[in-house]
Parts: sequence; structure tokens; C-alpha cells
Amino acid sequence: MGSNYLISHKFKPVGWVLFVAGILAGLYLMFTDYEVEILNVKVLALYGGDGIFSSNEGFFKIIENGIFDELTALSIIIGGLLVGFSREKIEDEFIYKLRKDSLVWALLFNYLVLVLAIAFIYDFTFFDVLVINMFTPLIFFILRFNFIKFKNQSGEE
Amino acid sequence: MKNNIKVERARMDLTQADLADRIGVSRQSINAIEKGKYVPSTVLALKIAAVFDKPVETVFSLEESD
Repeated sequence: MGSNYLISHKFKPVGWVLFVAGILAGLYLMFTDYEVEILNVKVLALYGGDGIFSSNEGFFKIIENGIFDELTALSIIIGGLLVGFSREKIEDEFIYKLRKDSLVWALLFNYLVLVLAIAFIYDFTFFDVLVINMFTPLIFFILRFNFIKFKNQSGEE
Repeated sequence: MKNNIKVERARMDLTQADLADRIGVSRQSINAIEKGKYVPSTVLALKIAAVFDKPVETVFSLEESD
């Protein structure tokens, strides 16, 4: 099929491991209010200050930061991309259409949820919405694609 | 679009997986086509008809809503 943005099927298992591990780590972070301060290392900040309320902002600073949350976010995104954009074992026109439909569905559903969240969730709780919304397009896409694929698998013989 | 893939499969004693293997598509595709959830491309329709050794019009036919 004419789908040149897909990578090899071999990446799918790696993707699933990263994706699921990332989501579990992310849930853990949310329930601990992002207070996990492990893996403290010096990192390069392209732009920023020394802390949330710092007025000392600038370009290219070396700062100290716990990178557990960064690794978690990267794990979800990279894992999700590997899962969502690697070939199926048998890649055919129906799977191709299912993937495209799922992408459109996920984008629309994501914004529908976001609109509702903007309208009805306020204050600091909205911070959680922003965090979760970084990943929901990929998550909705993967869930819907695999759900419909699974549903079509259980046909009568 | 209607199809009688299921009847033709039964006639040749093929499972969905067998048919999928013969034309190199996933089993999900055959299942979705058979249930009328997915309209195959002309190429795929011709391949399916070729397995049954019948003209494509006898396997697939138009509905009033098409």
C-alpha cells in the first residue's frame, strides 16, 4: 500500500513496552503530584529560569532537574508513535483505511474532550488537563485502531 | 454493495483465514468486507472473484442505496 510514513513491524513490541511503561509511570507521577525527585542531573535549558517563579530567565542555561517526568513523557510519545506508525503484520488497504479513519476520529474526539474540559474544568485542576492532553491524541488513536481491528478479528468462520 | 463471499467460501470450503491467505490480505479485511462494513478496491474485488473463479459481478453486486 502507498503508505510511506510507516516503519517496520519489528518496532511494534518495543513501542508497546515504552508506551505502557510510560503511561504507568505517568499515572504514578500524577498521583504523587509530580513530586518524584529522582534522577537529578544537570540539563541544558534552551530557555527558562531557575524555578517556576524565578525572574532570572534566559537562554541556554545549565540547570539541575529531576528528569523522571521528562523520560516518562518521551517514553509515552516515542512508544505511542512506534505502536501507531509501524506496519501491521499484514498491511493491506483495509488496515490502511482503518488507520486513517482512526487518526481523524482521534483528533476530533480529542478536541471534543478538550472543549468540554476548557468549559467545565477550572483552576489548578486544568493543569492536569493540559498534561493529559499532550498524550490523548496518540492514546485515542491507538485505542480506537486496535479496538476496531480486534472487533473485526472475531468474525464467524 | 452486497456480496456473497460467505456463500462462495462455503462452496469452496474455505475459512476467512484461508481466503485472506490466498490473496495476501489480513483476516480482518475479509471479515469487514463480508459483513459489508468495507467496500474493497477494484483490485481486491477482482482478486477475490478470481479465487472463486467467477466474474466479479456474481460475487459483488450493487444495492439500491449505492
